[in-house]
Amino acid sequence: MRALIRFGKQPRLRFISHLDLQRFFQRAVNRTGLPIAYSQGFNPHPVMSFGSALALGWTSEYEVIDIKLSAPMGRKRTEDAVRAALPEDLPVLEVRMVDDRHAAPMALVKMSDYRVTLEGEGASAVIAQIPAFLARERVEAVKKTKSGEKVINARTMVIGLEPTEVGFDARLMLTERESMKPDVLIELLADMAGVEPPRARIHRVALLGEDGEGNLRPLMEL
Amino acid sequence: MSLSESIENLLMSVQKPVRYMGGEFNAVMKDPGAVDVRYAFLFPDTYEVGMSHLGMKILYHAINARPDAWCERVFSPWVDMAGLMRRDGIPLFSLESRTPVKDFDLLGITLQYEMSFTNILEALDLAGIPLRREDRTEGPFVICGGPCAYNPEPLVPFVDLIALGDGEEETIQTIEVYKRWKESGLPRDEYLRMAAQIPGIYVPSLYDVEYNVDGTVKAVTPKPGSGAPAVVRKAMVKDLDAAAYPEKLIVPYGEIVHNRIMLEIFRGCTRGCRFCQAGMIYRPIRERSIPRLMDMAEKLVSSTGYDEISLMSLSSGDYSCLPELAHRMVERFAAKRVKISLPSQRIDTVLTDTLKETQKVRKTALTLAPEAGTQRLRDVINKGVTEADLIRSVTDAFDQGWSAVKLYFMLGLPTETDEDVLGIADLAEKVRRCYFSIPKERRAPGLRITVSASVFVPKNDTPFQWSPQLGFDEVVRRQQLLRQALSRLKGVDFKYHAPDVSYIEAVFARGDRRLGEALERAWRLGCRFDGWSDQFRYDLWLQAFRDVGLDPDFYVTRERSTDEVFPWDHLDCGVTKGYFLREWEKAQHAECTPDCRKGCTGCGMKRYPGACEGR
Repeated sequence: MRALIRFGKQPRLRFISHLDLQRFFQRAVNRTGLPIAYSQGFNPHPVMSFGSALALGWTSEYEVIDIKLSAPMGRKRTEDAVRAALPEDLPVLEVRMVDDRHAAPMALVKMSDYRVTLEGEGASAVIAQIPAFLARERVEAVKKTKSGEKVINARTMVIGLEPTEVGFDARLMLTERESMKPDVLIELLADMAGVEPPRARIHRVALLGEDGEGNLRPLMEL
Repeated sequence: MSLSESIENLLMSVQKPVRYMGGEFNAVMKDPGAVDVRYAFLFPDTYEVGMSHLGMKILYHAINARPDAWCERVFSPWVDMAGLMRRDGIPLFSLESRTPVKDFDLLGITLQYEMSFTNILEALDLAGIPLRREDRTEGPFVICGGPCAYNPEPLVPFVDLIALGDGEEETIQTIEVYKRWKESGLPRDEYLRMAAQIPGIYVPSLYDVEYNVDGTVKAVTPKPGSGAPAVVRKAMVKDLDAAAYPEKLIVPYGEIVHNRIMLEIFRGCTRGCRFCQAGMIYRPIRERSIPRLMDMAEKLVSSTGYDEISLMSLSSGDYSCLPELAHRMVERFAAKRVKISLPSQRIDTVLTDTLKETQKVRKTALTLAPEAGTQRLRDVINKGVTEADLIRSVTDAFDQGWSAVKLYFMLGLPTETDEDVLGIADLAEKVRRCYFSIPKERRAPGLRITVSASVFVPKNDTPFQWSPQLGFDEVVRRQQLLRQALSRLKGVDFKYHAPDVSYIEAVFARGDRRLGEALERAWRLGCRFDGWSDQFRYDLWLQAFRDVGLDPDFYVTRERSTDEVFPWDHLDCGVTKGYFLREWEKAQHAECTPDCRKGCTGCGMKRYPGACEGR
């Protein structure tokens, strides 16, 4: 049996790196007192995985961790135990028990929704470029890969983009092959506006995947 | 913009923002309006170093166990953060509530090593607290404790109180007296006079220092009518089982130096190594019982989720029932995959059984500290171990599957000759041969021997407090002599450092009140994080001494006569000067003093009622 746990990352803890968060959870699951499944081998560790890494400095209300249990456990008990093992700045938002055949969250993620708040000079100029960006068929961006640099079409990876009073809401591709990050999007918009990228607060609102019929659904509901 | 928001804005631009973040699991949050005393505890080094320190964890817990007080942590901001804080006018703040340090009632500072002293001035300045005590009319009282408190004289211009000895009870007393003082409405100085009555508390401003014409101290005496004692004797916690110990530890997000459960199995050491300050100032030996330790371990494992417990003490191999303790720990926690580790291994205790136990869960490098290369010199320093002990320990270890050994030595010990220096290489070679004497199929592959040689720093409150430190050039020559001798040995690494840090450390270890000027000057010239080799500025330190007209050699290489009054003679660490002198004289003849578990050696601890019971 596995527990899918959605948790948030509040502003105070936004500078914890993904690697540190992984180490943190290794200890946190030990604190839950739940029957955690361990990997085999010389140096066993709790079997768990994350939905998607969150970049340093971003906040979120849709982080997903998948923890394998060695014995069946009720949803409520799991939720209470995990909540007690996490600090208040990593709030538990949703818990779902799934069986071992359920696909790993990481494999299900297709897109992510972000809320971006822009501050200071250049913010309004960047927001003003959104209609122009959406009107284009191709926006080239340079992506660094293992084998060097590659020019990609960023436009096709921006699924949704709506201006708000203080920034924008964006739905961006997030798969191993195609992914777009909100900070890169800000840079592209700033470039189009001819300004320096403004200071931004980036918040993940949701992770999304596709159900059997190809409909987009929040990850926890798949 | 609030202070918290201003801090947040800086964090994007600094290395390791986690250092300043707070919000860790088990960090204690309280309602500031609901407590009477707010206590800031400063560890004057980085977060990673300070968060690894057991003493801070114990006192954090002891203070926060009181409903009327809230202890919060403060660490030295790294130079990048300090620069940005000055630029944006952000004062030094606590991690828990991000409150400016100057708004606290008490500021406790732990003195773990002399090379953190400039960080204390930096912290006061960043906090917006006037450096010198006499310039302060408000803000927290500054209280320093820890091992360097036994000679705090160089820091005297900057501090209000010095806490000598075990902090568990005396820290609480400084808080209770503070509450009484606050209620009384008496002037600021009155708190100092009241605190001077607490056992173990030294109030330096209540004492006068007189000097002889040659610059040595003539006398340190309490000011008439101050009510301060002529001699301040350290505070001591008699029963460690009953003493406060945390049931929860803060679990950091980033990696810190020692990221594990630390279980202090006993305090004090009975060996009597003559160079070792810790072995003197933490006397007498006080063990925690196995049931208490098992209970502590149980609570800490479930409250932290750590997968490693380190059994801490000055010499864990000396715990009276170590095999039983290790066995029970391993048995109890193996199912939870919690590893048990034993630091500061000694070479003369019966290791084999314990090694077998710890090995089941974890295999680290075996660390041994023979300290000196020949038996004669080991007798001079009273390191009661023989070459045969060392050979037996490493042979056992290699036979049990260890392949990495670290050997620690000191260069420049009193009476050291080239023969002693070359004796280190000789020992390393013998250790190598032990490894190859184990049949190939039985031993673990990849022999690694690391020889580390530090420079001996004579410390106050040790039998070597009369000894000069070896001159700079001579240290360098002996290091090179050893380096050449070791370079012929395959599989042996040699680690050593330039003697400049040890030289400055030696100035302050046995310094007097006048050095406060040099310390402040060095800080103004830009010295800070002196324990970090990338920050240490020897040139600026030498300039600071010149600027204030003090000769560092007066403190470092001067031969002290046996009737000299030391700047710290009015502070009683529990062991008497008479004992140190007897030991210093025995050292000249390479005469050993046995471990005091085998019979009282008259160090002076029995002046405490109930100390050394049953010994």
